[in-house]
Amino acid sequence: MKALIKASMVVGVSLSVFGAVPVWADGFKDCTKLDKASWKPASEAEAKAKSLGYEVRRSKIEGSCYEVYGVKEGKLFELFYSPEDLSLKKTIAK
Amino acid sequence: MVVVWDWPLRLFHWTLAASLLIAWFTPNIYDTVHRIAGYTVLGLIAFRLIWGFAGTRYSRFRSFIRFLRAAPGFLWGLGHGRTGRYLGLNPAGAAMSVTLLVLLAISTISGWMQVTVRFFGVAWVEDLHTYSSDLAMILVVVHVLGVLTMCVLQRENLVRAMITGRKRDRGD
Repeated sequence: MKALIKASMVVGVSLSVFGAVPVWADGFKDCTKLDKASWKPASEAEAKAKSLGYEVRRSKIEGSCYEVYGVKEGKLFELFYSPEDLSLKKTIAK
Repeated sequence: MVVVWDWPLRLFHWTLAASLLIAWFTPNIYDTVHRIAGYTVLGLIAFRLIWGFAGTRYSRFRSFIRFLRAAPGFLWGLGHGRTGRYLGLNPAGAAMSVTLLVLLAISTISGWMQVTVRFFGVAWVEDLHTYSSDLAMILVVVHVLGVLTMCVLQRENLVRAMITGRKRDRGD
């Protein structure tokens, strides 16, 4: 029983260590310091990507960015827009 | 001493361990490294499936089905201090092996799908990859703890056995 408690403690500690990793192993995520309440809608970020010729698959909030999944000429891109002014902060080719 | 783990199985085991560790620390930022690690895992799974039929005695899946049925009883006995010694995988080890292979197949295939034009940006593919990978890593931790527990209970260095392939001859 003692060994079992010990083992579960080790599992707990390892999980918290492993679980913490993606926090710093994540990609691009800082676009604005503006309060979420005053963000422009994500649909406008999608519209900007569309106007650049991307086929927009989806968008989501990543940190303080709008991450738009776009396909252009058979290639995959992640576009990061600032929800503050909808400026394109980063384009990552996947 | 007898040879239990043949060398391709050992090479498979440690390459898989290294690839998983690399894959775990590289998503999003080190995309290329992450992908190479993932494709390596996919290749290793394919090899393992072949080796489950073509390998030497303790690499084969033949005994796995019987073991899978015995796993709950084995774990119950373990909780009550009864282990029994197995030269190859014990029932819990066989169950872990099969579960990990299935989970890693799901994880690598969904990861690969994520970067195809067809499935790029599809939420369920992304979620499937995340959750199957997380679960696999939790099981890896449980696997390591299970091995260390058996090391203590059986007074045998099982980590070294997976390196040299050799284990003490039969008998408790």
